[in-house]
Amino acid sequence: MKYILMMNTMKAGEGVPGWPKKDLQAHVAFMRKFSKDLRDSGELVSAEGLSFPDQAKVVRASKDGTPVTDGVFPEGKEFLAGYWIVDVATPERAYAIAARASAAPGPGGAPLNMPIEVRSVLSAPPPEML
Amino acid sequence: MKYILMMAGTKAGVDTYKAWSKSDVQAHFAWLKSLNKELSDSGELVANEPLAAPEQAKVVRAGKDCVPITDGVFPEAKEFLLGYWIVDVESPERACQIAARLSAGPGPGGVPTSMPIEVRQIMSRRTDELT
Repeated sequence: MKYILMMNTMKAGEGVPGWPKKDLQAHVAFMRKFSKDLRDSGELVSAEGLSFPDQAKVVRASKDGTPVTDGVFPEGKEFLAGYWIVDVATPERAYAIAARASAAPGPGGAPLNMPIEVRSVLSAPPPEML
Repeated sequence: MKYILMMAGTKAGVDTYKAWSKSDVQAHFAWLKSLNKELSDSGELVANEPLAAPEQAKVVRAGKDCVPITDGVFPEAKEFLLGYWIVDVESPERACQIAARLSAGPGPGGVPTSMPIEVRQIMSRRTDELT
């Protein structure tokens, strides 16, 4: 069963967090080790980190189909910081992996306990839609 | 340059799709399939995943000793990711063009949905800057 684990922790306009460099390095080292463990267990399908919300654009098609670009978002909007897709035997295993990601170290090495959204990935649209 | 194009919506927004007629839904998915084929033929498509409906979403936090705490309650205004495309393109403008095409997908009666598509660059390079 494929699940996506989403870190929706960033807010509009945010760039690189203002943590001490050592704390940022510890966080990135944790994330690398986390991804390596999942790769080694054969559960990692893919993972990507996204650029910061200050780079985000929202695009809509205008009447003639040309892009209309906007960079203004509501203050409460959550931004995806990154995600992992894992292929696991049970939903509980996906939740256990998400809990590890949630405990990634923040400033001073304290666990962030950030919320991780977990949802199954559809291999194809539902049959009634085809 | 790799970009992610994200289609998101609230639960209420997703419920409006459920009211589409079967032929409108089929036309929309046929159109998505042909766009995916075009992007994969041009070599620009890196990945595309549709996600399960927001009803299935759970939020997980680490509890004591890293035991997962699972919750399924979200604020009404929360936007859920419905699906995404990762494309590898020559310029940010090309990423925006592809996003505009996604936004112009047919809705009820074949009228373009004009849904917003969030575009962000994938961070492979910036992660290195942090270490």
